Amino acid sequence: MELLFRIAVYVPVLFLIAVVVVAQQHTAAQPILKAAVTRTLRWLVWSVALLAVMTLLELLFIGW
Amino acid sequence: MGFVPGLLQLRLGQRQRALTALLSCSAVMVVGWLVVKERLFYWGLAVPDGKSSFDSLARLGLAVLPEILNLPAQVLGSLSAYDGSATGLRMQRLPRDFEHIAGWLTAASGMLAAFWAAAGHWELRLRRDGELDAQGQMPAPVANPALCAALSWLVPGLGHAKAGQKDKGVLLGVAVAAVFVLGLLCSGGHAVDRAQYGVWWIGQNLFGGGSLFAALVTGPMRSVETPIDLDLGIVLCTVSGLMNLVVMCDAYTVAERSALPLPAGVAGGSDEGATT
Repeated sequence: MELLFRIAVYVPVLFLIAVVVVAQQHTAAQPILKAAVTRTLRWLVWSVALLAVMTLLELLFIGW
Repeated sequence: MGFVPGLLQLRLGQRQRALTALLSCSAVMVVGWLVVKERLFYWGLAVPDGKSSFDSLARLGLAVLPEILNLPAQVLGSLSAYDGSATGLRMQRLPRDFEHIAGWLTAASGMLAAFWAAAGHWELRLRRDGELDAQGQMPAPVANPALCAALSWLVPGLGHAKAGQKDKGVLLGVAVAAVFVLGLLCSGGHAVDRAQYGVWWIGQNLFGGGSLFAALVTGPMRSVETPIDLDLGIVLCTVSGLMNLVVMCDAYTVAERSALPLPAGVAGGSDEGATT
């Protein structure tokens, strides 16, 4: 349950960080939001990839 | 030169502004320091204890951020407050009344010194790179970039609004404030506490309005039990401060480019040239 809560917090926070990051390349709110959605999805893919690599490393060096 | 408030303005020949910079930074520092005194050392990255290799550095107050940005006041205050006796070292660990707001004020003096330095740097840049218009006038920005950055420190997005990008400012303000509020909610209001989590607080203080709110409202709250998501709250409030650092830099850039635009063909700052 705690893990689910943290995942639920992670996604919107990632989106808000993306808003701030992409805002440097835009001047109006609408294109910022649009670009932030794309950036968030890309970061989520990277997050999942990172998680997979970390799990794999854990399995290799520590075991199940 | 930026570590001494007003020195850049003095070099520019702006004596009155130099005096204002020095007095404003010193006044804010003195008000906070009168309350915290030797407690200031306790918030540093290294505590002077007469043993560690960083002792002399810490004794001069050079391990305390962001106060170090107001170097003369910080060194003077630290030298006069340092007491290496057992009682003095005990006093560093002793909480004071109103220390939350006093700690915010001493930090604000460092941030104020940074903004004065930014203002001085902007003037120097304008004189170096600014091209005179047809009337022989220097280019004027929509707002002073250093002022925009300072406004964004207090209220994220206000600097953008001042520089003419209101809806972008509101969006950025909501983004930074939402992460900060989420952090406070997760931690039951205890995430932003300089005496408890001093290193994290350095990042959290980059959102000055948020850390001021915490110093006034949530900081003095009595802690009954440790909230289960305290760690998450601390990280979120720090992330919010780091997000605001990006917002401050962007507010400075937006105002800067209104007077000194990028050369034609260089992408940035417009939706046409944006990349995702």
